[in-house]
Amino acid sequence: MARIGVFICHCGENISATVDCGKVCEAASKLKHVAYATEYKYMCSDPGQSLVKNAIIEHKLTGVVVSACSPRMHEPTFRKATAEGGLNPFLCEMANLREHCSWVHEKGEATTEKAIDIVRTLVEKVKRNAALQPIRVPVTKAALVIGGGIAGIQAALDIANCGHKVIMVERSPSIGGHMSQLSETFPTLDCSQCILTPRMVEVLQHPNITLYSYAEVEQLDGFIGNFVAKIRKKAKSLDEKACTGCGLCITKCPQKKIPNEFEEGMGFRPAIYVPFPQAVPNRPVIDKANCTYYIKGKCKVCEIVCPTKAIRFDQEDEVIDVEVGAVVVATGFDIKRADFFPEYGYGKLKDVIDGLQFERLASASGPTNGEILRPSDGQKPKNIVFIACAGSRDPAKGIAYCSKICCMYTAKHAMLYKHKVHEGNAHVFYMDIRSAGKNYDEFVRRAIEEDHVNYIRGRVSTVYERDGKLIVKGVDTLLGAQPVEIVADMVVLATAGVANPGAEELAQRLHVSYDSHKFFAEAHPKLKPVETNTAGIFLAGACQNPKDIPDSVSQASGAAVKVAALFSQSELTREPLVAAVNRFGPPLYSTCVGCFMCQPVCPYQAIEREEIKSRDGKVIKSLAKINEGLCQGCGTCVALCRSKSIDLYGYTNEQVYTEVVALLNDY
Amino acid sequence: MSNIAAKAKELLESKAVQVVIGYEAGPTGVVRPAFITDAAKADSLIYNENCVQNLAMYLTKHEVKHIGKMGIVATLPVMRSIMMLISEQQVVPENIVVLGIAEDGKLLDIADMNVMHSHIEKSNLGNPTKDQEKLAELNKLSIEERFKFWEQEMSKCIKCYACRQSCPMCYCIRCSTDCNQPQWIPVQSNTQGNMDWHILRAMHLAGRCISCGECGRACPVNIPCHLLTMQLSDQAYNYFKVHAGTSVDMKSVMSTFEPNDKESFII
Repeated sequence: MARIGVFICHCGENISATVDCGKVCEAASKLKHVAYATEYKYMCSDPGQSLVKNAIIEHKLTGVVVSACSPRMHEPTFRKATAEGGLNPFLCEMANLREHCSWVHEKGEATTEKAIDIVRTLVEKVKRNAALQPIRVPVTKAALVIGGGIAGIQAALDIANCGHKVIMVERSPSIGGHMSQLSETFPTLDCSQCILTPRMVEVLQHPNITLYSYAEVEQLDGFIGNFVAKIRKKAKSLDEKACTGCGLCITKCPQKKIPNEFEEGMGFRPAIYVPFPQAVPNRPVIDKANCTYYIKGKCKVCEIVCPTKAIRFDQEDEVIDVEVGAVVVATGFDIKRADFFPEYGYGKLKDVIDGLQFERLASASGPTNGEILRPSDGQKPKNIVFIACAGSRDPAKGIAYCSKICCMYTAKHAMLYKHKVHEGNAHVFYMDIRSAGKNYDEFVRRAIEEDHVNYIRGRVSTVYERDGKLIVKGVDTLLGAQPVEIVADMVVLATAGVANPGAEELAQRLHVSYDSHKFFAEAHPKLKPVETNTAGIFLAGACQNPKDIPDSVSQASGAAVKVAALFSQSELTREPLVAAVNRFGPPLYSTCVGCFMCQPVCPYQAIEREEIKSRDGKVIKSLAKINEGLCQGCGTCVALCRSKSIDLYGYTNEQVYTEVVALLNDY
Repeated sequence: MSNIAAKAKELLESKAVQVVIGYEAGPTGVVRPAFITDAAKADSLIYNENCVQNLAMYLTKHEVKHIGKMGIVATLPVMRSIMMLISEQQVVPENIVVLGIAEDGKLLDIADMNVMHSHIEKSNLGNPTKDQEKLAELNKLSIEERFKFWEQEMSKCIKCYACRQSCPMCYCIRCSTDCNQPQWIPVQSNTQGNMDWHILRAMHLAGRCISCGECGRACPVNIPCHLLTMQLSDQAYNYFKVHAGTSVDMKSVMSTFEPNDKESFII
C-alpha cells in the first residue's frame, strides 16, 4: 500500500499570496494513499527539508510530493532530502504550484482548485514511480581537439598539462590558423608570430599531444566519455620520419606559380611546400592538384633531389579510428572576400583588398617583407581608405550580426600604415566604433589622436577606378550626411567574419547544432557558452562566432577545464531518466518489431540495432536498443513507437496516463 | 494450367521457394488464400478479378515465414506492401520471390526489387477512383457533418479488429490496443472508444498506407475505414510528394525531417 507524503510550500508569499495553502493541504490529506500532508513557509530551507526527512521516517512514506516551485529549481534539493530520509530519490516528485499556478493566476477559488488538481496528479504519478538507480558510464581520458588555431592550441595545451592525452587534428599542413597570418596584434602591437610560434612548437613537443596535420575528422560516433572518431590523414606524399625538413625539394620544384593560400593569394608557392617558414610540423606536403607528376605522370624532381629519399608518390590517405572521451571543436572562422561586394568592385579592383591581405602586406615575413605596397603596381599608397563593417551589420547582405573584431583591427591597420608610411593619409569609414575590452578604446583613441587617422562616420556607397586611382564615394553623417569623395590609392575592407566553409557538414558529422549563419551553437547563450547540446563536445574560439584572440584563448581554457572536469572521474553518473525498449524472456524477447521508425527521429543518435541470436549464431530477432549514455530522455521515440515498446523511465506511459486520468476523474 | 501455377510449380520443384502464397477457389467457389508447399498441388492456384485480398500480410506471419523462402502472387498493392515491409525491415528481399501480376492479369517477370521498383513507378499510385470520389464527397461536408458521418459509422464497430488483421502494415506482435497498463483503447465496443481505435489505427498508418482498401473490405459491418487511411496517404503525398511503398529504402514521412518540409498542417 502506497503511503505518500505531501509537502506544501508557501514560498514566502510567492505561492500563499494567491493559493490558499491550508486548503490545498487539507484536500491533499484526504486523497487516497496520502499518509501525511503538511505546509511550511520555506520548504527548501533547512527546517523545511528536515520536515521531509523526518516525515519519511515517522510516517513510513513510500513516496514524496513536494508542492512548491519548478523542478528545474529545487528538484535536486528535495531528491537529496528524500535520499537522506532513506527513500530512493526518484520517489520524490515536484508539484509546480509556483510557475504553473500562483505566479500566473489571480488570487481566488479557482487558483486554489488548480493547485489541488496539480497536487492530485502528482500524487497519482508518484504512486507509480520506480526506485531508479543512476547510470554509470566509463570515461576514456583522451580528448580530441579539432582545429589547430590559437583556440585549439590553447585547449590542447591546457588539457595536456592536466595530464590527459590529446589528439589534435588540423586540416591544413600546419597548425597556427589565422593568428599565424597576422602581422601585429591589438591592443599592444606585439608581433603575432612571436607570441604564437612558441605555443605551436610546444604542441608538437608535448608528450601528451598527438598532432595529425593535413587530416580531417570524417565521422564521430559514440557518446560522452566514449567517442570514436574516424580521422582521415590525407596523403602528404612524404615519409615524415625520413624527411629532415631541409627544404631542397621546395626550392627545386618546377611549379612555382601556385597562388599561396597563406599569403591570401598575394604570393606564390611551389607544388611541394610548407605554408610558412615557422610551420609546425615543418615538413612539406605535395599539393596533388597542382603537382606536375600527379597531373602529367612525370617530373619527380623533388624525389631526385631529396637527400634522404623521403618522397612517396604512391602514398595513400590513411583512415584511423581514435577513442576519445571528449571533443573540443576549434575550427575557427573565415572572412568574406572582396568578390562578395559588387559595390566595391567584385574583387576585380586589384587595390581593393581584405583585412587578411593587409595583414600579409604589413607582415615582416609577407610577400612585400612588411612594406605596404599596392598589389597592382607595387607603389606605396599615399592615400588609404579602410571600410569597416563591410558586410557586417547588413541584413540586406544576409549578415545581420557584428563581426566584433573589425573595429579593433581596422584601427590597428590604420596605425600600422601610419607607422610605415609617415607621409600617407589614412581614412576610416565606420558605422560605430565598438571597442569594448581591456585597453581597447584607448587603442582606438591613440589611432585617432596620436596617429591622426581620419575617422569618418558613414558608409561607402561605391568604389570605382579612375586614372589608376580608386574613387571612394561615401557620406559623413556627422556633418549632416554630407557626401564625401576620397581619391585613394588603396582600399582595405574589414569584411565580415563568417563560418568556415564546411562548418555545416562538420556540425552534422559531430551532431552539434549550428545557427543560421552556420556558426556552432552553444548549449545556453549565457550559462553554457562553452558546451554544445551534445554532451561531451565543447566549443572554443571563432567557430561559435567571430572572436578576437583573448576571447578565443579564454574560451579555449574554459573548454579545457570542462574536459578536465569530465576526466577527473573514472566513471560518469547521470540521471536515469532515459528511454528503454522493453525486454522479456524468450520466445518474445520484446514487443519491439524492429521497424526502426524511432531511429531517424532520435535527435541524439541514441538508438542502435540489437540482434538477438541463438546459440548457433542465427539472428532470431532485430530490435531497437537505446544507448543510455546518449539518451537525453526527450521521449520522441516513445511517441513514435506504434507498439508502445519504448518507455521513458520517470515518465512512463503509465505514469503520464494516470496523471491525465486523475485530472479527468472527480475525486 | 495457368502461368501462375506453372511458375509456382517451377519455383517449388527447383526449391527456390518452400511456399507459394496465392489464391485458390474454395469448395463453394469463393476465392481464398492458398499456401502451396507441394509442387504437385500448384495447379490449384488461380488468378481472376475476384482475387483482391492483399496477400502481403502473410509475409510477416510467424506460421508462414517459418516455412522458408516465400513466393507470393502479387498485384500492385501487394508489391507496394512488400516494398513498404522491406523499407520497414520486416521482410528480407532475399527471402521472397515475387510473382508479379500486371493490371491486365498477365504474369510479370520480377527478377529483383529494382524491376519491381520500376514497375511500381510506372503504375498509378493514387487512391482507387471509387474511393477518391467518396473522399472528395466527404471532404465537401462541414467538419460537424463529417464528424457525424464517422460517429455514425463507428457506432457500428464491434471491435473485431479485422481491419487490423487484414492490413499488411499492421504487423506488430503486440498492438497498442492490447496494452492494458495503461489501457489506451477501451476493450468494450462503444462509439467513443471505437473512434479512439480508428483514429489510432489511421494515425499509425499515416504515410504508410498503400491504398489497397483491404481494411474496408475485411470489415464485417461495412465501415469504410479504408477511407481514413487513404485520406492520410493522399495528404502525405500532397505535403511530402511521397507515395508509400515505392522503393526499398523509402524514408518514413512521419519519422524523417527535411528542412524544406511543409509545416502548414501545424496549428
